Amino acid sequence: MPSYKLTYFNGRGTAEIVRLVFAAAGTEYEDVRLEQDQWPELKPNTPMGQLPILEMDGTMLCQSNSIARYIAKLAGLAGKTPLDQARVDMVMDGMVDMGNKFAYEIYYEKDEDKKAEKKKDYVEKYVPQFFSSLNKLASDGGYFAGDELTLADIAFYNMTTMVNPYLEQPLSLDGFPKLQKVEDNVTSNPGIAKWLKERPETPY
Amino acid sequence: MAPKYKFTYFYGRGRGEPTRLIFAAAGVEFDDVRITLDQWPKVKDSLPAPMGQLPFLEVAGGVTLCQSMSIARFAAKETGLAGKTNLEQAQADMFVDEISELLPKLAGAVFASDEAVKAEKAKEVDKMIPEKLGRLEKLSGANGHLVGDSLLWCDLVVFNVAFNVENYKPGTLKNYPKLTKVMDTVKANKRIADWIAKRPETKF
Repeated sequence: MPSYKLTYFNGRGTAEIVRLVFAAAGTEYEDVRLEQDQWPELKPNTPMGQLPILEMDGTMLCQSNSIARYIAKLAGLAGKTPLDQARVDMVMDGMVDMGNKFAYEIYYEKDEDKKAEKKKDYVEKYVPQFFSSLNKLASDGGYFAGDELTLADIAFYNMTTMVNPYLEQPLSLDGFPKLQKVEDNVTSNPGIAKWLKERPETPY
Repeated sequence: MAPKYKFTYFYGRGRGEPTRLIFAAAGVEFDDVRITLDQWPKVKDSLPAPMGQLPFLEVAGGVTLCQSMSIARFAAKETGLAGKTNLEQAQADMFVDEISELLPKLAGAVFASDEAVKAEKAKEVDKMIPEKLGRLEKLSGANGHLVGDSLLWCDLVVFNVAFNVENYKPGTLKNYPKLTKVMDTVKANKRIADWIAKRPETKF
């Protein structure tokens, strides 16, 4: 089996989805966390000058979701058929959209009044509408593709928990029973449950 | 017999064109449904769009997919253009992930009506183009393909964005010889050339 080395900063950020997939897959890997002053030296030696990167047997991959999909595929967590894989991908993309909307419209907004207004719109209109679409896509058992845990379920959990600390209160899953089941399936996965207990506490 | 795939998007190329290019390159028939900007608000709620957005792909058998790059990746898998190995597929994904941010930024600069806003957006795009294209140039294969030695969907995704970049600032691609070779290889593909000749002419 190849040896995997994941490099990122000391935080969850865009690398956490990869760490969660490794945890669910039960695959061992080196979890390298750089200090900011170590980064400039490594940067030119990375494929696109960005983190995270995954090194294995002489090859480097970049782009967090591409890395996550690659590891998930090897572990059978990416969807069993091309259609299931597409379902997994589309939910992942939807979660990225949800995260980007928060980052660009709210997190980076400097005007305090605008920020408050956008936050209100995000929590009261955008997310409920988006969660309503997602709830329709999830199965009664709480899976976005097939009948077992995939990268899509993990992506849902990861992004919602990533955004929650920046809001007045965590996003509600009331009225979205299947999404609650998705979350439960993720947090009760043995590998993920263990990781959630053991992972370093970081500000982001 | 009705085509197996029904693809619904706006009239232009935008995020939907890669899927059209993939089906065209593979010689696979598909329903090319185009919605005008005027029609969209009127039909939006009646269309089976899983997340309320375009594009979406209806696959014979009852599955509807959304998220432009997930649809494109699925179409690529169905037509043998996704990559031969898990690693090649991950490398193709890397290119798609990196270039994706540029398209909406470019659209913003091209379609802005207010002169001050347009200038502001152009400044951002002019910074982003060399960053993104520089990264892709560094990683690209030298034989007319981004990854490996045959046409993959990532070549078509990058071609689609670079086509708009060339319209925005003619001569840009000259600075990137390997990417220029990829563009030329795509344009020389007979099925692609035929598609480009017959597709509707649109601004973006």
